Amino acid sequence: MNLAVYRVILRTQLSPARLLVLAGLSGVAILLAFTARASDDTVEVATRTIANFGINIFAAFIALALGSAALGNLVEDRTLVYLWLRPVSRHSIATAAMAAVVTVVVPILVVVMTVAAVITGVGELVAATAVATALAAFAYSGIFVALGLRFKRSLLIGLGYIAIWELLMSRLGDWFARLSIRSYPMSILSDATDVSMRLADRSTLASYIVPLAVGLAGLLYTSWSLTRTEID
Amino acid sequence: MVQAAGVSKWFGDLVAVSDVSFSIGAGVTALLGPNGAGKSTMLRMMCGLAKPSNGSVTVLGKEPRSDVAVLGRIGMAPQQESLLDHLSGQEFVELAANLHHLQRPAESARQAIQTVELDPDDPRRLSTYSKGMRQRIKLAQAIVHDPLVIALDEPLTGLDPRQRREMISLFHRLGSEGKCVIVSSHVLDEVERFGSRVLVMAQGRLAAEGDFREIRNLMDDRPLRISIRTDQPRELAIALLDRGVISGCRLEGTDGVVVDTNDAAAFRRAVAPAAREQDASLRELRPLDDDLESVFRYLVAQ
Repeated sequence: MNLAVYRVILRTQLSPARLLVLAGLSGVAILLAFTARASDDTVEVATRTIANFGINIFAAFIALALGSAALGNLVEDRTLVYLWLRPVSRHSIATAAMAAVVTVVVPILVVVMTVAAVITGVGELVAATAVATALAAFAYSGIFVALGLRFKRSLLIGLGYIAIWELLMSRLGDWFARLSIRSYPMSILSDATDVSMRLADRSTLASYIVPLAVGLAGLLYTSWSLTRTEID
Repeated sequence: MVQAAGVSKWFGDLVAVSDVSFSIGAGVTALLGPNGAGKSTMLRMMCGLAKPSNGSVTVLGKEPRSDVAVLGRIGMAPQQESLLDHLSGQEFVELAANLHHLQRPAESARQAIQTVELDPDDPRRLSTYSKGMRQRIKLAQAIVHDPLVIALDEPLTGLDPRQRREMISLFHRLGSEGKCVIVSSHVLDEVERFGSRVLVMAQGRLAAEGDFREIRNLMDDRPLRISIRTDQPRELAIALLDRGVISGCRLEGTDGVVVDTNDAAAFRRAVAPAAREQDASLRELRPLDDDLESVFRYLVAQ
């Protein structure tokens, strides 16, 4: 990883508008946690809240907003040339971009959602939430960094992907669920609290390995794309 | 230092560069051509930013597209104005120095910024820079690592006349240090001051190549239509016809004549003596088809 590139991309990650959205989503997460705590079936409601909001919405959207912008903004405003013209490997640029996104997305998501899990009062959910949200954030970041480099309207495409595939199609059956990212970290939550969710049958190991593999695949695709793409 | 062999580049149906071959050594070389001639695409291929659809471009014997190491010997200032606007000038150039693995990046960046007559201690973000300052900071990041090959895409745009003179003298200094400086421009008079070697591109093709004076002569040899404003248009036209420097003429109003010449240089030499001889005062001489497009169209046809 190239530290100079990492620092440059990291500085572009937290704009005031994004901070505002992050604060808003964090506030909603805390509010939902209190609501879950006050419910009759705290374990089930808390698990579903963390899964549906923390992974389906918070993790996916924050990773999309920051991931697609990491290299996507440089492509869009034609400044990628100032990184690309240097004698540094394309892989180190891709890794720096991914690291910059993960540096912001993972801690924010893990801290906020773990605090939310603590607020619900469901002890067995706390560690599972930390791990599940971290894995979801990593997987989504890998995909959306690649998407930002590859497509000009990556934010729109990413929104479409989250809404249509992750939130809709993945509920239609076992195979669809297997091909969605959300179901893997969600199954970690499900295993921890024994709350049944409509997820594909899979081994516990797969729940940990697949999100990591997806994130790494996104990173490799970004590296490969950087070597092939024509810089404007 | 730079070699292009049968290079073509197309984007879908659009042919941006067509079968261009040349070789460039040390010194200043101007890449001249109208907008859309393929100059920027050619420079981008030289720096590895784009891949030729056909043929090959090598810099110092290596293909910059596939050999990342050779990028350490190339400096480029792209045409676009956009910069990493959240950085200051010093940070921007220091980033380039860092990515080129220089031992003292901050010091190298300061030096490069001072070379282009900007202040390295200026804390303002690049987003506040004027067009001229942006051009100069782009040049600073291109030379910070002391590259052997420097490609500058329209680097004088937005500079005032004094800054232009200083930049041109910097190009010459770099060229005389043995570096290969390639400067693209669509301004004919600007290129005249760059140096002797010129590559002329038009419609994606290499239209002419060589010493600027030869190119200028080639341009002067083409048929040219010139409008003359004078108090004695008829007498002056007859005098020019007698001298054989114009091939036709047409009177326009009471104080104008449009003449055709096949030898612009001879016409330029003859027009003032002819006017003096006829006691005519010359108010205006204006080439009617001397825009770059027509010059390049003519060169392509040759």
